Amino acid sequence: MSDIAQRPSQAAFESDDQAADLFRARARRLTMRRRVLPVVTILVLVLIWEAGVRYFEVPNFIAPAPSAVFAALWSRFPMFMENLTPTALQALAGYVIGNLAAVAVATTFVYRPTAEEAFFPLAVMMNTVPTVAKAPILVLLLGNGMEPKVAIAALICFFPTLVNMTRGLRAVSSQHLELMRILSAAEREVFTKLRLKNAMPYLFAALKITAPSAVIGSIVAEWIGSTRGIGALIIEATYNYDSVLLYATIIVGATFSAAFFGVVSLFERHFLKWNDRANQ
Amino acid sequence: MAKAVEIAGVSVRFTTERGTVTALDNINLEIADGGFMVLLGPSGCGKSTLLRVMADLIEPNTGSVKVLGAPPSAARQGRDIGFVFQDSALLPWRTVLENVSLPLEVGGGARRPGRSPRELLEMVGLAGWEGSYPHELSGGMRQRVSIARALVGDPKLLLMDEPFGALDEITRDRLNEELLRIWEQTGMTVVFVTHSIYEATFLGREVLLLTARPGRTRERVTLDLPEPRNAASKETPQFVKHAAYLRKVLETC
Repeated sequence: MSDIAQRPSQAAFESDDQAADLFRARARRLTMRRRVLPVVTILVLVLIWEAGVRYFEVPNFIAPAPSAVFAALWSRFPMFMENLTPTALQALAGYVIGNLAAVAVATTFVYRPTAEEAFFPLAVMMNTVPTVAKAPILVLLLGNGMEPKVAIAALICFFPTLVNMTRGLRAVSSQHLELMRILSAAEREVFTKLRLKNAMPYLFAALKITAPSAVIGSIVAEWIGSTRGIGALIIEATYNYDSVLLYATIIVGATFSAAFFGVVSLFERHFLKWNDRANQ
Repeated sequence: MAKAVEIAGVSVRFTTERGTVTALDNINLEIADGGFMVLLGPSGCGKSTLLRVMADLIEPNTGSVKVLGAPPSAARQGRDIGFVFQDSALLPWRTVLENVSLPLEVGGGARRPGRSPRELLEMVGLAGWEGSYPHELSGGMRQRVSIARALVGDPKLLLMDEPFGALDEITRDRLNEELLRIWEQTGMTVVFVTHSIYEATFLGREVLLLTARPGRTRERVTLDLPEPRNAASKETPQFVKHAAYLRKVLETC
């Protein structure tokens, strides 16, 4: 029975507290370094930028000093939040709608290959049209409210998730399918207990890619005739040569994007523990 | 004596772009209830195909198949067949216990009398590992889980497709001995596919030798070894003689 260790996980190791402490300390140090270094890099770059702007006396409308940008962020914070809200809501709504639609269509594709043959080329063609070109069309179709922005965000999310999810639902090992047949599992059970679970890592990869894309979609859609939102602020700042406002707006949008991505990553880590550890 | 498997005139052909391949050609085989039959042959001889015909995974083009006196589909739906795959085929997102419990969750398994997953894990020597994930186990342990899963439905026929082929020799020997112990305890019929002559000699009460392309029955050999079979059995003159004989036949397959 020696291919089995006596007790789960630790039995094969001697207990050497000192060595264990050293190992853990080293691991902690490496983790800290991984977290601290990028922050240091950014801080240094910002300082160089500040010094450069001051030294070369760069005019404000070409490139603002970081200190001016942060001052604007601080003093006009409520205004930024007011504009972030519609952008964020449109991005979130589009993200949910686009991804749900993609999962539904992927499921249809897996069970009805003729549907895939008929519609997948269409999805590819729609995806090749740039977002900036789709936006005006949708504004004409859906008016000037939130709808065209949500639609753009949803369209941006749709394609990556469709491709990944279709692949994930299909990439089931033939032995697992044989196993399900030996167990006389119903098609519904094969879907919920095998295909869907198998597709989860693929789905989360797509969910992570599409989270920032949905924000981009929402912002770009606001460029066409919006008065509120991060996209509208960007346009306004550009026309007024207000580079401080422009940079501050970009920081607000990017921070939201990063936070969105971070939340999805947290969900992934929570739901895909088995995959996380299996891939280490 | 009742027959666990009756196969008469079975042929299986696969058609691909490169033409039609005859995987099995006119196979006739009867396996007695409670027997231990090893299917041995070079790769491509159709032994896995024959196993899949018994499991109702492949429908033969011609011939008739009966498992426990009924069509294979009936035996499958009645959970009379257990199957152990070559690479264990555990679901990576399920713990050991959840994997073993899978047959109780799907295909109406909840309504059937089954064996307790925990007891089976104990029987295969994995008590204490219920909460582990497959990737945390060694290959041998994964195959033990897979055997426990195959036994949950309390099958009368256990089909094993080169289950220990990917394991190191020491682990393989040990699992071979344990398989014999489980076989004796349960009294079920086992059909075991391998390409290892030593494994075949050690396990098989009977060995069916198959030839490759097309898969045909070459010879059916009955092996007598002193019981109980254990590590010492491999040093007996009979063992050496049987192994040498199987090798000789295989060389001409």
